Amino acid sequence: MTDNTRNILDQQVDWHSPKVRARLRRRHRTDFLFRAIGFSAVAAAGLFLVFLLGNIIKNGAPGFLQTSIEVDVAFDPSLLPDPTLERAEFAAAMARVDLQRLLRQSLLDHFPEVSGRADTIRLTRMLSSGARAQLRDILVRNPAVVGTTGKVWLLASDEVDQVVKGNVDISLPEQNRKLKNKELVWLQRFESEGRVSLSFHSRFITAGDSREPELVGVWGAIVGSGLTLLVTLLTAFPIGVASAIYLEEFAPKNRFTDIVEVNINNLAAVPSIVFGLLGLAFFLGVMGMARSAPIVGGLTLALLTLPTIIISARAAIAAVPPSIRDAARGLGASSMQVAFHHVVPLAMPGILTGTIIGMARALGESAPLLMIGMVAFIVDVPGGVNDPATVLPVQIFLWADSPERAFIEKTSAAIMVLLFFLIAMNGMAIWLRQRFERKW
Amino acid sequence: MLNAAIESENEALSPPKMTIRDVHVHYGDIHAVKGVTLDLRPDQVTALIGPSGCGKSTLLRCMNRMNDTIADCRVEGQVFLDGQDIYDSQIDVVQLRARVGMVFQKPNPFPKSIYDNVAYGPRIHGLATDRDALDEIVEASLEKAGLWQEVKDRLDQVGTALSGGQQQRLCIARAIAVNPEVILMDEPCSSLDPIATAKVEALIDELSARYAIVIVTHSMQQAARVSQKTVFFHLGEMIEYGDTTQMFTAPREDRTRDYITGRIG
Amino acid sequence: MTNSTILVVIALLAVIAFAVVRQKSVAVVSGATDTLHSLPRYHGYYASLMVLLPGLAVLALWAVSGKTIVENLILAGLPDAIADSNAERLDLLINRIRLIAENGTGIETSEHLLAAAERFNRLYGMGIVATLLLSMGASAAGYLYAARKVVAEFRARPRFEKILHGLLALSSFLAIAITIGIVASLIFESLRFFQQVPLDEFVFGVKWSPQTALRIDQIAAEGAFGAVPLFAGTFLIAFIAMIVAGPIGLLAAIYLTQYAGPATRNVAKPVLEILAGVPTVVYGFFAALTVAPLFRDAGIVMGLDVASESALAAGVVMGIMIIPFVSSLSDDALMAVPDSIKQGSLALGATPAETIVRVLLPAALPGIASSFLLAVSRAIGETMIVVMAAGMRPNLTANPLEAVTTVTVQIVALLTGDQEFNSTKTLSAFALGLALFVTTLVFNIFALQLVRRYRQAYD
Repeated sequence: MTDNTRNILDQQVDWHSPKVRARLRRRHRTDFLFRAIGFSAVAAAGLFLVFLLGNIIKNGAPGFLQTSIEVDVAFDPSLLPDPTLERAEFAAAMARVDLQRLLRQSLLDHFPEVSGRADTIRLTRMLSSGARAQLRDILVRNPAVVGTTGKVWLLASDEVDQVVKGNVDISLPEQNRKLKNKELVWLQRFESEGRVSLSFHSRFITAGDSREPELVGVWGAIVGSGLTLLVTLLTAFPIGVASAIYLEEFAPKNRFTDIVEVNINNLAAVPSIVFGLLGLAFFLGVMGMARSAPIVGGLTLALLTLPTIIISARAAIAAVPPSIRDAARGLGASSMQVAFHHVVPLAMPGILTGTIIGMARALGESAPLLMIGMVAFIVDVPGGVNDPATVLPVQIFLWADSPERAFIEKTSAAIMVLLFFLIAMNGMAIWLRQRFERKW
Repeated sequence: MLNAAIESENEALSPPKMTIRDVHVHYGDIHAVKGVTLDLRPDQVTALIGPSGCGKSTLLRCMNRMNDTIADCRVEGQVFLDGQDIYDSQIDVVQLRARVGMVFQKPNPFPKSIYDNVAYGPRIHGLATDRDALDEIVEASLEKAGLWQEVKDRLDQVGTALSGGQQQRLCIARAIAVNPEVILMDEPCSSLDPIATAKVEALIDELSARYAIVIVTHSMQQAARVSQKTVFFHLGEMIEYGDTTQMFTAPREDRTRDYITGRIG
Repeated sequence: MTNSTILVVIALLAVIAFAVVRQKSVAVVSGATDTLHSLPRYHGYYASLMVLLPGLAVLALWAVSGKTIVENLILAGLPDAIADSNAERLDLLINRIRLIAENGTGIETSEHLLAAAERFNRLYGMGIVATLLLSMGASAAGYLYAARKVVAEFRARPRFEKILHGLLALSSFLAIAITIGIVASLIFESLRFFQQVPLDEFVFGVKWSPQTALRIDQIAAEGAFGAVPLFAGTFLIAFIAMIVAGPIGLLAAIYLTQYAGPATRNVAKPVLEILAGVPTVVYGFFAALTVAPLFRDAGIVMGLDVASESALAAGVVMGIMIIPFVSSLSDDALMAVPDSIKQGSLALGATPAETIVRVLLPAALPGIASSFLLAVSRAIGETMIVVMAAGMRPNLTANPLEAVTTVTVQIVALLTGDQEFNSTKTLSAFALGLALFVTTLVFNIFALQLVRRYRQAYD
C-alpha cells in the first residue's frame, strides 16, 4: 500500500461545487422519473380495469332492458278454440292454433295500408317470435278473452329493439341496415302512438338459452353453474382439506411427501385446458359418463381447484400456533383429536376463505368445460347433475360467438351477472377473513 | 445544568461537527426521544449507552435522517452538521447520508462482490473519475477497514460469503469509501464473536482520528474501551453526558450508577 | 336407478350402523361406559367406516369400469360381419349404440344397432342392480365384522383413527394420482396419434391442416400435422403479452412496494386483485369486441394492414390479464429482500431509484425471473382469450399484425363440435395437449426451482 492510496480518502469532497450539485440534481431527476414511471404502471393497470368494466357496463346495461310494442290484438273466435272447453282441453287445442295468423291479422288491422306478402311478413317480423308464446300464455291463463280485443304488450324483435336503443345508425343507406325504411316508418307510428316501451326484461334473468337474442336468459346457465360448483365443492373441499390435514399434521418428512409437495405446486400451474383433456379422457372416455353434464364439469373443475384448496388450507393449518397442539396433547388427546377438535376448527375461517376463492375461480373457468362438451345449445334449465347443462362463462362464450348485433349487449349483460356472483363470493371471502382473522 | 456543561466545554475545544439541540422523536403516540441536546466532535468517539428501548438507536437514526423512511416517525428540534440544520428543507438527504455514514447492528453487505460493495457509494456519488481512481478508493477503504490483506485476492467474491466479522468490516469499508465526516454505528458488534469484536473495536479506535464517530452499544465494557465521551439514556431521556472515564468511575447521576452497576438493564 | 342412488343407500347403511353399534357398545357393558376402552361413539364411527368403505369400493369399481365391461359384452354379441371391422370403426359403433341407448332411436334404423342398444340398456340395468346388491353385501359383511368386535376392551378409537389416517393419506396422494392421470391419458392418446403420424412430422412439420377426408377422393385426405406454426403462434402471442405484462407488472410491484404510501396501496391492491379475478372469457370478449377493432382502425389510420384477429390484440389483452400475476409475484420477490440491505443502501446516500435498480432488483432477480417464467407459462396455456380473439388459420409469421392460431385454439377447435371419435384429428388434440403440458411444466419447474433456491438464500 502506498501513501498515495491512503490519501485518496482524506481529500474532502466539496459538496457545494457546481459539478457535484449538477450531479445531484440529475440523480434526483432520475429518481423522480423512475417513480413517475412506476406510478404510471399502476395507473395503467387501473385504467385498463376502468376501461374494461366501463366497456362491459356500457354495453351490458341495455341488455337488461327490452323493447315491447303494444298491439291491439283481436282474439278472433274463428281462429281460436272454444273458450268454454275444459282448461286442459283448451290448452291442448291451443297447441294447434296458428297464432301467427292471429298476430298478422291484428297488425294488418292496425296498418290497413300494408299489403302484399313481403310487406306483411316484414310487419309481423317486427315482433319477436316469442310474441306467439306470450299470446298463448294469455289465452291459456284466461280463455275468456276469446272474442274480445285487448291491448297487449308484445316483445319486439331484436332488430327493432336495437333501433329503439339507438344501437343502429339509421342514417346509413338502407341496404346496410337490417331494418328497412318501411319498418322504420311503422316503428315511428307505434312510437308516436305511445305504443313502444323499453322496460326491465325479467325474462333475461329467468329464462334459459334461445336462438333469439330477445328471448335469451341466464337462468339456465346460473343453475348449470350452481350444480357444477356444487359437485366441485362436494368433492374438492373434503379431499382438499383432508390432504392438507395429512400433509401438515401427519405426513412424515421424507422424499415422498417432498414429491407430493412439489407435485401440488406444479399442478396449480398446469393450464386449465389440460385438466379438460384429463376430464375428457377419464370421465367421458374411461368412465363413460354423459357429455355436457354438470357432474362431469364439476368433477373436472374439482381436479382444477384441488391444488388451490390444498395450498390455502395448508397455509391456514400451518398458521395455528404449535402451542395449541401442545396444550391439547398435554391433556391426553390423540393426534387425530388434536387435529379435528382443535387445529381444524381454528383454521376453518382460513380454509373457507381459500375455498371460496377457489370456487370463485372455478365459477369463471370455461376452457376445460369446452373439452367435456358443456358448449351445447341447451334451452331447458337443468334439473339435476346428470342433465345436459351449460355454465355462465360458457354461455358468455356462446353468445359472444353469435352474429346478431343484439347479442353483444346480452353477452355483456351476462358478464355483468357473472361478475356480480364473483364479487359476491370474493366479498364473502373478505368478510370471512376480516371477521375471523386471528393474530396469534 | 447539562447544557451548561456542554457550553463550558465548547469554549475550550474545537468547534463541534454535529450539534443536537432539544430533539424529540415520536413514533405515532410513542415519545421515543425526549429533548436531547448533545455535541459531537470530529476526533472523538461518543458512545450512547442505556437499557434497550431507551431511544439511543432512534437518536442515532436522526443524525442521518434514516428515520425518514419510517412512515409515522416525527422529529422535533434541530440537528446541525457543520452549523447547518439537517432537517432544513434546503438539505438534500442523499448528500447528508453521504456525509454521515452508518454501520448497522447486523452486517448487511449487498449480495454483490466485495469490490462492488465498496465501490457502490463512490459510484453513485460519482467520486471516482475513472476506473483507476475507483480501484484506489476500494483499496484504500478496505485497507482502512483492515480487511485488505484478507480479501485482496478475492475481490470478485460475493460479500455475503465472508465471515460475520469480515462482513461488518466490509460494511465499515463501504461506509468510509464515500468519504464521510461522521460515522454512526448501531451496535456494530452485537452479532459478532469476541475476536471479531476486538478487531472492529481496534478499527473504531483507528478511525476516530479522522471521523466523528457515534456508537450505540449495549456493552459498557465496549463503551469504556472505544469511546472518549459517553451519553447515558434512560426511557428516552438523556440522563448524563461526560467523559467516558469519569462516567464509569464517578457517575454524577444515581440512575447512571444503577445502570453501570447492573441494577437497571 | 343410478349410481347416486346406490351412494345414498350405502350412506344410509353407514348411519344406521353408527347408531346400532353405538347402542350396542353401551349395552355390552350394561351402561357402564367408563369400563369401555373407547367411547361409544368411536365404536359407532368404526362400524360406520367398516360399512362405508367396502360398499364404496364396489361402487367405485363399477363406476369406473361398468360401461367398458358392458361395451365389451355388447361387442362380443354383435354379428361377426359387423364386429369384424377395425378398432376405429368399432369405437364409432359403440358410440352410436350408446347414443341410441341414452337418447332413444332417433334416425338410426340398423336392426343390429337397435338390438345392441336394447341389450346395452338391459345389461347396464342388470349391472347396476348387481352393483347395488354387491355393495350392500360388502357393507353387510363390514357391519358383521365390526359388530362382532364390540366388547369392552376393543380399542375402537385407535382403530378408527388408523383408518382415518389412511384416508387422509389417500386424499393427499390423490394429487399425485391426478398428475399421473394427466400424464397417462395424454401419453396414451398421443401414442396412438404417433402411430399414425410420425413424431418428427409433428415436431418439425410447418404445415398444420388436420382435415380428414369425408370422401376418399378428397384432396388433403391425409391432413398435415406439423405443430410448428401453432407453437410459433403461441409464443408470438405470449411474447406480446409479456411485453405488456412484464414491464407494467414489475414497475407496478416496484412502485407499490417501494414508493407508494398506504393509501395508494389500499386502492391499487384491490384493483390488481379484481383484474386478476376477471374470468378469461370476459377478457376474450373484450379483446374480440373492443380491442381488435380498435387496433384495426388504428392500423387503417396509420396505413397499416392489421388483421381483424391480429396476434397483437390477443397478446395485448392477454398481457393485461397477466399484469396482476406478474406484479403480485414480483411483489413477493421484492418483499423477500431483507430490509437491512435496502437500509444499507439508503444510508450510503443512494436515492430510492438507485437502491431499487442497483441493489433490490439484482437481489430479487431470481424471484422476478421466476415470476416472469410462471407468467409465460400462464400465457402459453391461456385458452379463452385466444379462442375468442386469435385466428383459426395456422400462420407461420412473426408479424404481430397478422392473425395467428395457437395450440390451445386448435385443441378447442379439434375437440368441440362434431367430432369423429378416435380419428387422427381428435387424437392430435391430445398430442398438442401433451406438448402444451410438457412446455408449461418445464417453465413451472424451472420457476419453482428458482424461487426455492432464492428463498434458501435469505432464510
